[in-house]
Amino acid sequence: MIAIYLYLAGMGAGSFVIGTLMGWLGVKLNPLPSLSLLGYTLNLSKVPVLWGPILVAIGAPFLILDLGIKWRFMYACLNPRTSWVARGFLILSTFIIFGLALFVKSILPLEWVHGESSLWRIPEIIAVFFALATAVYTGILLKATKSVPLWNTYVLPVLFLVSALSTGSMAIILSTLGTGLFSLDSAALRALMVAVQILVVIEGIVLYLYLSGRSRVSEQGRDSVHLLLLGEKKFFFWGGDILLGLVLPFVLVSIAVFSGGNMLLIFLSGLTLLCGGFFLRVGVLHAGIKEQIPMHRLMEIQYNAMVERTKALRGLKSGETREIQ
Amino acid sequence: MQEEKVLVVDQQKCTGCRLCELVCSVFHTGTSNPSRSRVKVVKWEDVGLYLPMACNHCEKPYCVEVCPTKACHREPENNNRVTIDKKLCIGCRTCIIACPFGHPFFDVQERVTVKCDFCDGDPQCVRFCDVKAISFTDAEKTNLTRKREAFLRYAESMKHIR
Repeated sequence: MIAIYLYLAGMGAGSFVIGTLMGWLGVKLNPLPSLSLLGYTLNLSKVPVLWGPILVAIGAPFLILDLGIKWRFMYACLNPRTSWVARGFLILSTFIIFGLALFVKSILPLEWVHGESSLWRIPEIIAVFFALATAVYTGILLKATKSVPLWNTYVLPVLFLVSALSTGSMAIILSTLGTGLFSLDSAALRALMVAVQILVVIEGIVLYLYLSGRSRVSEQGRDSVHLLLLGEKKFFFWGGDILLGLVLPFVLVSIAVFSGGNMLLIFLSGLTLLCGGFFLRVGVLHAGIKEQIPMHRLMEIQYNAMVERTKALRGLKSGETREIQ
Repeated sequence: MQEEKVLVVDQQKCTGCRLCELVCSVFHTGTSNPSRSRVKVVKWEDVGLYLPMACNHCEKPYCVEVCPTKACHREPENNNRVTIDKKLCIGCRTCIIACPFGHPFFDVQERVTVKCDFCDGDPQCVRFCDVKAISFTDAEKTNLTRKREAFLRYAESMKHIR
């Protein structure tokens, strides 16, 4: 549940940031066939670019489903002074409200909202800020657990942010595939694909720094990294994260860029990248091991001493029996 | 000023009978169900090692820091204990993940997180422990008691050597 939330929130926030930046940079979008609803003509051209808040709004209920008493979810904002769960509640709520408002504004042709007014830049900036905060927050939520060395680092929020931006960019490319939305500005699609490549490379570097740093921090950090790289979770890591999330998307997008935008290749690279983003979060969540406290260490020493003593006694007993025989 | 008391566990005395779990669950839930107890005895049966684990009511508790609803809070008027208000708890289990000792437990029947609250000043585990493996002593004298017992054990072992 938590992995699904982390994934949807990251991808939704990342795609909203990239989509809004495209708007600010003046990328021209092809008008899509309009749709009429209750006498209004809906403008659908920004839907594939600004649908991020919907993904986050879908992901947030997974957190509520994980609660013991679900109807009390509104209490979750009572302690923002120290709790990151409470801060996250406020960050996510603000992003969903502002993001959905901008999304609805881009669809509905209401004259009284003055959609072209430059004043709309203010809620856009607020929404982008909270979208970035949402993407970073998914990492900070785990970082707040100080007793798990694999999560307790500022590199994790950075890794999740980069992953959010790469999966978000890919979500935009996938949602515009076949619609001809970029036909007015095909350079924008090419730029987006190059951005995905760069983000994938950055993600690989940050992932290396993250894992190498964690493996040096403590015994449990090393065990967690070992679990991810060579242990039980190695299929999530090598197959899911490295192959699907980094290698295949990079190679396929590179071929697609040089082959003039092969749709099948872009589609495949998109799917693999989105799967990789999910496996990254599942792997990091499942590989977290709690720090060993001195009491555990003491028990370990006592246990080993007692095992040795039991072995010695057994050896003595078998020796005595042999003598009697 | 009221003296602050803490639970002290002497692991070497524990026989692993789990009576503490039983009386704790009866006191808090009205049922003899050790899975709902606030104290848990961790066992290494193959070597006869038993460790009763209860909340340490830490000086800087992570559970209080991460709780989003302030359900997990400190009560200076009650032995400075760290306790959970069941009416505020949403069952997010953040405190369980945050605690280095893995202490707060999720009660599957009440759907909230629960933890040791010193049984409102009269810990049942202490009252019923036959071998006195758990005691409820003044925080300031904890180390003294442990030191005294260690020296007594040392003196006892020296007698055998002689």
